[in-house]
Amino acid sequence: MRSRLFLTSLAAIAAMTPAMTLALAADPIRIGVPVGLSGANSVVAPSVVQSAELAVEEINAKGGVLGRPLALDVADDGSGAAGAQKAFDALIFQKKVNVLISMETSAARNAGLPIVARGKTPFIYTSFYEGKSCSPYLYVNAWVPEQQVPPIVDYFNKEKKAKNYFLIGSDYAFGRGMLSFTKSYIEKTGGKVLGEEYLPMDGSDWTPIISKLKASGADAIITSTAGGAPNVTLTKQLRAAGVNLPYGNLAVDEGTAKSMGGDATGIYISASYVTGIDSAANKTFLAAMSKKFGADLKTPNDLSVPEYEAVYAYKAAVEKAGGTDPTKVLAALEEVSVDGPRGAIRMNKQRHAPLTMYLGQVQADGSVNVIQSFPNVDPGAQCPPKS
Amino acid sequence: MPDTQQASPAAAPPMIGGFSPVLSLAAAALLMVGIVVVAPSFLDTYLVNILIRAFFVAIAAVTVDIMWGYSGTLTFGQSAFFGIGVYALAITFTEYGFGTWQALMALGVTLTITAAVAALTGWLSFYPGSTPLYASIVSLVVPIVLVQILYSGGTFTGSSSGLVGFESFDLSFEDWFRLAGLSLIAVAVVALIIMRSDTGRLLTALRDNDARCTYLGIDTSRMRIIVLILTALVASLAGFGYAAFGAVAAPENASFTFGTRLIIMVALGGRGTIIGAIVGALSIEVASAYLSGSLPYVWELIIGVALITVILAFPDGLVGVIRKLVRGLHRFQATETVRLRPLTVSTAADKTSEMAIEVRELGKHFGSLSVLDGVQFKAHRAELLSLVGPNGAGKTTLIRCLSDGRERSTGHVAIAGQPIDYLPPDRIVRFGLGRKFQTASVFEPLTVAECLRVARTHHAPPSLTSTSTFLDLPAAAIAVLERSGLGERLSEEARNLSHGLKQALELAMVLALEPEVLLLDEPTAGLTRAERQGFADILTTLVSRDRLCILLVEHDLDFVREISSRIIVLHQGRIALDGSVDEVVNSALVREIYTGQPSSAAEARP
Amino acid sequence: MLTVALDAVTTAALLFIISSGLLIVFGVMKIINFAHAAFVTVGGYAALVGAWLGLPWLLVLPLAFAAGAVCGGLTEAIIVRRLYQRPLDAILATWGLGIVIGQLVTLVFGREVQFVQAPITGTVDLGSLDYSAYRLVMIAAAVVVAVVFTGLLGGTRLGLSTRAVIMNEMLAQGLGVNSARVRLVTFAIGSGLAALSGALITPLSSVDPNMGLPWLISAFMLVMVSGGSLLALAVSCLVLGGCQVIVSTFVNPILGGLTIAILAAIVLRIRPEGFARA
Repeated sequence: MRSRLFLTSLAAIAAMTPAMTLALAADPIRIGVPVGLSGANSVVAPSVVQSAELAVEEINAKGGVLGRPLALDVADDGSGAAGAQKAFDALIFQKKVNVLISMETSAARNAGLPIVARGKTPFIYTSFYEGKSCSPYLYVNAWVPEQQVPPIVDYFNKEKKAKNYFLIGSDYAFGRGMLSFTKSYIEKTGGKVLGEEYLPMDGSDWTPIISKLKASGADAIITSTAGGAPNVTLTKQLRAAGVNLPYGNLAVDEGTAKSMGGDATGIYISASYVTGIDSAANKTFLAAMSKKFGADLKTPNDLSVPEYEAVYAYKAAVEKAGGTDPTKVLAALEEVSVDGPRGAIRMNKQRHAPLTMYLGQVQADGSVNVIQSFPNVDPGAQCPPKS
Repeated sequence: MPDTQQASPAAAPPMIGGFSPVLSLAAAALLMVGIVVVAPSFLDTYLVNILIRAFFVAIAAVTVDIMWGYSGTLTFGQSAFFGIGVYALAITFTEYGFGTWQALMALGVTLTITAAVAALTGWLSFYPGSTPLYASIVSLVVPIVLVQILYSGGTFTGSSSGLVGFESFDLSFEDWFRLAGLSLIAVAVVALIIMRSDTGRLLTALRDNDARCTYLGIDTSRMRIIVLILTALVASLAGFGYAAFGAVAAPENASFTFGTRLIIMVALGGRGTIIGAIVGALSIEVASAYLSGSLPYVWELIIGVALITVILAFPDGLVGVIRKLVRGLHRFQATETVRLRPLTVSTAADKTSEMAIEVRELGKHFGSLSVLDGVQFKAHRAELLSLVGPNGAGKTTLIRCLSDGRERSTGHVAIAGQPIDYLPPDRIVRFGLGRKFQTASVFEPLTVAECLRVARTHHAPPSLTSTSTFLDLPAAAIAVLERSGLGERLSEEARNLSHGLKQALELAMVLALEPEVLLLDEPTAGLTRAERQGFADILTTLVSRDRLCILLVEHDLDFVREISSRIIVLHQGRIALDGSVDEVVNSALVREIYTGQPSSAAEARP
Repeated sequence: MLTVALDAVTTAALLFIISSGLLIVFGVMKIINFAHAAFVTVGGYAALVGAWLGLPWLLVLPLAFAAGAVCGGLTEAIIVRRLYQRPLDAILATWGLGIVIGQLVTLVFGREVQFVQAPITGTVDLGSLDYSAYRLVMIAAAVVVAVVFTGLLGGTRLGLSTRAVIMNEMLAQGLGVNSARVRLVTFAIGSGLAALSGALITPLSSVDPNMGLPWLISAFMLVMVSGGSLLALAVSCLVLGGCQVIVSTFVNPILGGLTIAILAAIVLRIRPEGFARA
């Protein structure tokens, strides 16, 4: 059990207003970024903040949005419900941001949604998650299980001839939601699930679960922990225990995989973004990130790139709506399409987005080798309209 | 027999500005109510939001102050009860939706589960013989266990995610502010009234000297358990309110970290003052919300440093520092004068047993080491029995075996005709036993009057709302007070008394029990000659007039010779001699025991 | 079955290393040092720094120990020394210190979770199964710690003075033992041990400013149960640690985390002085 002693929110990152727009002393549009600077997500949070910073800098360099510069307010949600309450309160009621754009754990997101509703603030959620979160203020530009799980299971069934699966996850909405979908998909495609084990989000001692796994005789593992630290501890301990079964990790991103070093080799991931995507937009994006952050660059990944694209989506929506009025912006978000490193993305499927998915395997040097790609995968019925 | 004794007016400090404490409390409360009702219109929404949460947390902090600042148990566990309130509400509303009966059910569940858990915790923490450290340990374990249970509850408790999205009471921010603020004021007022009353002083006595309380017939374990249950219930209601407002339940709300946070708030604000807990809680909650944004790492660092500084240098916290400053300018204390009144009717049960102490085959062994062996004697009322013997003979052990049923290894003891079996001291005291300790064991932070009031607890339960103006004491106790001059100093704090006066006070307290049997352990140690003489007179009067049986452990053989009717000599755990003063004083055996030298036949006297 | 047994023994070894520092402090000074978790964290970060500097593992461990010992010495001299008469307040003050150290670490290293590679990777083939080599090393480390400290206590003059102070401080002082120095050295050694254990456990999980906290409670309970004897501590770690592993494996890992705390509370209720001199 790990409890956090404290929550901290970072100071507002000053609006990056280049010299040429200094003449316009316009009122900035504030983007709130509540993110897990401490806790389970702290491994990936810096990359998310970097994406947001790059997007804001690029947009401001081109004149901002409707003549107004963008400003970022970053707050620490502690990767959990209690911290999220404080972060959302601070951003919405104290800093009075116009929009929230961020990646968070499901625990934090769920705790923040009532506050978002109270403050009537649009919220673009940029993290993959277990699906079916439906608030009229919430838009999602990252994947849901319907898009992400089938590639891995199909591959294991066909290529690895896997029949008996063992599932491991973090005990919260995301872990349970993902694995429950996975379990039904496995059973639907003729496989069997021999075990389904969970540790709390902050848990770091997977020893008993690993021992159970080895005893079960499963021939494939699929895991869905919170993004960040739990992934690393689980993988390290699995490898230390000598587990080398086909290992599908539903929640790891390239950056975290890199920090695992050699232990990550061989992990199968299914993602909407890998740095190896061969497109002009991606190459431009990567070059810009390198230039801005240099040696401090955190590997762009499936949790941080949607953040970059979401800032642009918001820009497009504000321009279409002619202002930052929440109702108009929310309506416009459904209609705008943005071209980014992941291609053209439009959140028009019940506030979720069809995405191109890539099945890949982590290599020894930490890069991801793409095995197969699936264009335009539909997210399914995430938020069916109430009849 | 003197009539009603009045404390001289000069001893009581003047009241401030003519306002009695009750009136100033009422005025302050009304002022706060006014502020709370009006404030939301002026304050910024974010601040209102923060304060609503802070008010509920402050209620929990007040309960921590009562447990720690007043009763002396360092408890990390009040957060667990807060968490029970949070989750009972969240789970009920998640499973059953929101409505009147659901809300009532959630309330009922909160109170029932809290009471059960608090009772269990209390039973574990406060058994006779437990230490404050052990109680702290248990209070540490409770929130940890609770949080783990929450983690293992799957979707029922939301595990790491917590519970969100359940429908809750639909009140505006302003109304929540008033509700929370008024609740806090109500809790504070009730707490202040009780803590300033005789009951509150009793809790302070408990904290200061648990053993003395036990030997005054007070069941300290039971008291502590009751205090725990009551404070737990209040803390759980605070949690209930917190979750009702925030509509989120997270494991952090019940964690041990939150529990330590509450302690820090009380420590920094000032423990043992109630106001300190509130000041600490509100300041830290508000400052943390604002500063942790602009001074991310530094804020927590400040808290850590402040805690260390306060513990080392300013144990009374912020409120304590302010009080010292103010006291330097004013005499703030408005204590009312206390008057002594002799008891007209003895409240002690009518026990007319002639056999005061009966000991048969008493033995106390530590493994193969035998401290007492085969001790046997009887003592009657109106006897003054002295127990003498060289160091290490087992005298204090014998006293302990007489007053605590769990001490001895073998044998049978009866006090005032009642066998003591394995009863704890507080039960034996109620048979009519009084024990005075070797070191003057009184209640340092309490005034003389309050010490005596506590001594009367068993006979006259203390008031929950006020301090009594009259102090009804048996004549023997009043005699001691007058004789020593304590009768003039009823409002003075015990810690300021000289050693001799503390001894007198303790004797008065023990006599306030109206004992039939009195055990005194080296009562003249450190007394001046005059004091010793006074003491001797008091003891002889007690025996002759009030027909007490007194058992006295002493080294001063002159003193013993002067007042005893009988002497028992203890040597190496056995009774060497039991006889009249002359027999013992002239005995060769006694000389041998004390000097260690065998006496020659020529020196032996008939 | 063998896996569970090995899990139990290696977990017990880990707990022993972490608790031994706390035990030494409690045994000599009857003070509970709640900054123990922070010293574990200091050790973890020392290992991180060592890894960045590319130091060999055998150098990193003493480095961590030294870091902890220095912190401990300073703590005793500045804070703990004044609180010997107020043990409950000592708990609070050391908790405050723990917060301060955690914040300083965050200021210097940032608050993200970081990772250190294990010096020994891979598994050991034990016939019927493969077991993590690094975990097995823990057993060796625990034995070394136990042997070194028993040797120190029993075989050196400092150890003799320490034992004297434990038994009867006033008498020891009267015989010329500088008890203030004994306390300082003891606290430093206890803290050094905490940091050493932090350095040892980081390869198994991760390094972050709060890493020591989950271990603090278990270590605290084990020390209370052992009542001040190193041997009793070893036994408690084996018994209670073993129960924890069994419950985690066969019932629920979450409830397993509770086992030590609950069992310890019950044991202390029945036998308040713990298992020492049983």
